[in-house]
Amino acid sequence: MQVDTVQQEPGAAPAGASRRDELHRPWRRRFPLLPALVFTVLLTQIPFLMNIWYSLTDWTIVPPAPRTFIGLDNYGDLPDDQFFRDAAWVTVVMTVTAVIASLVLGTLLALLLDRKFFGQGVARTLLITPFLIMPVVAGLVWKNQMFSGLYGVVNWVTARLGMDSIEFVSRYPLASIVVVLVWQWTPFMMLIMLAGLQSQPAEVLEAAKVDGASAVGTFRQLTLPHLRPYMELGTLLGTIYLIQVFDHVAVMTGGGPDSTNIPYFVYQRSIGGGWEFGKASAYSIVVVVASIVVATVALRVLSRLLQGEEIA
Amino acid sequence: MAGSAGARLGVGERRSVNAVMGVVAWLIAVLFFFPVFWMILSSFKEEQDANTSPKLFFSPTLDRYSDVTESTTGLLSFREAFFNSFWVVMVSTVVVLLLAIPAAYALAIRPVPKWRDVLFFFISTKFLPVVASILPLWILARDFDLLNTRLVLMILYTGMNLPLAVWMLRSFFREIPRELIEAAEIDGAGLRGQLASVILPIAVPGIAATALLCVIFAWNEYFYAVQLNPADGSTIPIWVTTNISTRGDFLAKLSAASVLASVPVVLAGWLAQKRMIRGLAMGAIK
Amino acid sequence: MTATSQSTWRRRAVRVLAVAAVGLAAVACGDDDDDGAEPGGSGEAPSGEGGEITVAIVGNPQMEDISALTPDLFTAETGIDVNYSVLEEGTLREIVTRDIGGGGEQFDVVMIGMYEAPQFGENGWLTDLTPYAEDDTSYQVDDLIPTVREGLSVEGKLYASPFYAESSFLMYRTDVLEAAGVTMPDNPTWDEVAEIARAVDSDQMAGICLRGKPGWGDLGASFTTVLNTFGGTWWSANEDDTVAEAQVNQPEFKEALQFYVGLINDAGEDDAANASFNECLAQYRDGKVAMWYDATVAAGLLEANDSPVKGLNGYATAPVKETDASGWLWSWALAIPQNSPDPDTAWQYISWATGPDYIKAAGSQISGGWAAIPPGTRASTYEIPEYQEAAGAFADATLEAMEAAPIDNPGTTPRPGVPGVQYVGIPEFQDVGNRCTEQFSSVIAGGASIDAALSACQDIASEVAG
Repeated sequence: MQVDTVQQEPGAAPAGASRRDELHRPWRRRFPLLPALVFTVLLTQIPFLMNIWYSLTDWTIVPPAPRTFIGLDNYGDLPDDQFFRDAAWVTVVMTVTAVIASLVLGTLLALLLDRKFFGQGVARTLLITPFLIMPVVAGLVWKNQMFSGLYGVVNWVTARLGMDSIEFVSRYPLASIVVVLVWQWTPFMMLIMLAGLQSQPAEVLEAAKVDGASAVGTFRQLTLPHLRPYMELGTLLGTIYLIQVFDHVAVMTGGGPDSTNIPYFVYQRSIGGGWEFGKASAYSIVVVVASIVVATVALRVLSRLLQGEEIA
Repeated sequence: MAGSAGARLGVGERRSVNAVMGVVAWLIAVLFFFPVFWMILSSFKEEQDANTSPKLFFSPTLDRYSDVTESTTGLLSFREAFFNSFWVVMVSTVVVLLLAIPAAYALAIRPVPKWRDVLFFFISTKFLPVVASILPLWILARDFDLLNTRLVLMILYTGMNLPLAVWMLRSFFREIPRELIEAAEIDGAGLRGQLASVILPIAVPGIAATALLCVIFAWNEYFYAVQLNPADGSTIPIWVTTNISTRGDFLAKLSAASVLASVPVVLAGWLAQKRMIRGLAMGAIK
Repeated sequence: MTATSQSTWRRRAVRVLAVAAVGLAAVACGDDDDDGAEPGGSGEAPSGEGGEITVAIVGNPQMEDISALTPDLFTAETGIDVNYSVLEEGTLREIVTRDIGGGGEQFDVVMIGMYEAPQFGENGWLTDLTPYAEDDTSYQVDDLIPTVREGLSVEGKLYASPFYAESSFLMYRTDVLEAAGVTMPDNPTWDEVAEIARAVDSDQMAGICLRGKPGWGDLGASFTTVLNTFGGTWWSANEDDTVAEAQVNQPEFKEALQFYVGLINDAGEDDAANASFNECLAQYRDGKVAMWYDATVAAGLLEANDSPVKGLNGYATAPVKETDASGWLWSWALAIPQNSPDPDTAWQYISWATGPDYIKAAGSQISGGWAAIPPGTRASTYEIPEYQEAAGAFADATLEAMEAAPIDNPGTTPRPGVPGVQYVGIPEFQDVGNRCTEQFSSVIAGGASIDAALSACQDIASEVAG
């Protein structure tokens, strides 16, 4: 990998350093990383390996049966499983729409909030609050008090405008869930963008202003490129979390062909009543593999997150 | 108009644009906040009022709050849940930062070989669906006698937030101007010195944002908590959901519980977002 | 710049420490609770001479009442400390199943439903309570309502002691029906009920509220009783009670589903695909529906002092078609896991919590009054004068429903597994029921066709081959 050659040069030992220093240097660099890395490897890989092992068995606990090794049988059943495919599709739609919507909204809000105005702190805190509510509670409040056909605030408003009441969660289950997700995750994106905006050096903007650049121009040519890594970061992190959405599905729609995503589907196969741990683990491993593929493409090809300008 | 570093009001025209934008910002903030506002309103209602057509005017009562905070021996009380949550979140967030800051250093400022792979590895640990990993984790926790303890959640939340923190801090650390690092190195500062004098002060907004997110994720985490600590060491989210019933209305009580549960994170959010008006520091560097 | 940033750094640290100190002080003051690390119970307050048990329960009102009364009525008498874990129903089922199925020892007593009790008992996961029950005179095992006792037993062995039990019946607004000029027979058929519902249905008030929310215990329960009485069933059974074939594709099943969905579409409540007990309760109380088919315990809530419809309700038995009775049977019962370290202490608790004495003591002490005591478990409950007075409107109807619940023979054909009315007593039903009712709920919401739903459900049910 070409990475290595680039790495050697910066931070190179000052002239005249001994050979021992040269050997130590890579480990001196690795050292700060080790605690975090070792901790994570131990904590995540052991359960992961256990999941792989379970996926190669037919383990069910209800009704109780001995656990036998069946090799790749669970995986062989997967391609035929229509319900798994549906869940995968729902996951993709849910995640993509929620991430894009919250990213766009979050960025706009960050830009809006970045300036000084009266009560800025309070306005920002108000905007963060949706993200602070437990997903279970958010789902219940939206379902029963905002979206409810009879008793919801949204329908109360539309009734004043003369429209019929819409049973949002019944008729548009996926859209309803996405609305709540966007409501909760826009603050997340906003926080990342805000932090990113803060790190934009002020003197560059001053210089642009002095040079007579327009507001829009400044935005397009300076701010947006500066924000790009943060937007990519937000997209990456948002996707990771939104793929795992579970509580909202469980609480708002209870599943159903239009709104069951992969986590809820795996839950149903395992502790949610199916008790087929072997199969559920197999599904999960497939999800991991698919995520690795997608992430590899996204990170190494599409995004600049993993492109280092090395130490200049 | 995108400007960081706070507006220095110069010309009158900019002042009025700022004011208009301020009003727009407030409108949007209020709109976003509305469902939360509604939830807070519900927490002061009788159950019947909360489960019927939207009522803006009603006779408020504090009964829901006393219902949910009433502490009976043998039942998980707000105090106990808060205590557990507080410690679990505090310790896990501190440990996350202690681990992630050096790691981000080793990935952004003095990158190790294969830093890309390391970053990818960190994020890949979040690909396994939580509902799948719970089973091996439960088995391990049971075998190590860690069920129903605060320790198991501290460990899990640290592992859960570490990838996020590493990625975020690495992004923020990359913004730090090289010259400053090298200046510090020339002055003879090692890792700790560089951190203290250069990196941490500049990256305060980033660290604040990261810490805030870790706190929020750990505070509201429900699944691991309820699966591993149902009998003891239970946290706030578990306490909140004890109010859910299948045979009777509960929305007002749930709202009250949720309001109480959110106060600490709102406070944390307030504190953190104050740190993020620090653009001035950046401007003052040169 | 360094100087300023260091001082702001310091200020920030001070503030964080201040918050931490305040937080610590707030919780440390007056917080007695220890953080035990032992499974099976935490170190608690002083008076634990009699021992200590951990009990997992559901968060329904009757359970809340008993947990509030436990210190005074139980711990004070016996010295046994009781730690309750209150969990939401689905989570409780998961955790308990995994715990006792996996040989864990987190709980001394668990609250399980009538669906799990016989199955867990058969698996050998629960302690047989029969010897305890028969030796304990204060428990009065013969006072238990026979259908409830049978539902919680396997081959005569009682595996869980009922704390709360319900059947189902039809509740209706007597004033609304009278105004519309229709009368409800005491033992109606579904066709009669459908006709009445369509007759009283209007824009302001729906004819009937039926559950539509996906879930084997939500739409599943309600629909399965209809299915039973229409002569349909989920699976046919082999001689040895194992599953033979899925019967979702049979004409009776389709007829029952069409009837149910049709009735909801014509005369049913708003947002039906999301409606279960709580939603129908809210609508009925608000005067948005004229009739409601659901659990008997609802009557207590409708006749409560603060209910806007108090005194306006009539109660008819669960509607039938081809069977004599169709009301469901459900109970939340307390059981002792097989690996429980101290079954004797656990039984002491169970004997108190589900015995007749608690019911008599609770009536005067709980906030809901006599009408809110745990219903449906014992015949003696229905002979308490104060209860008859407070619950007069519905006590008889409830007792009748409990006693008539056709636990042995809910439909017209034999079923696999252990007995059950609104579910099939096999472990796979939970999953099949969930996934199938999701399909059906989608039909109710208008998103799918009945045939597509039935076909999907037949596939799902066929995965459970005999």
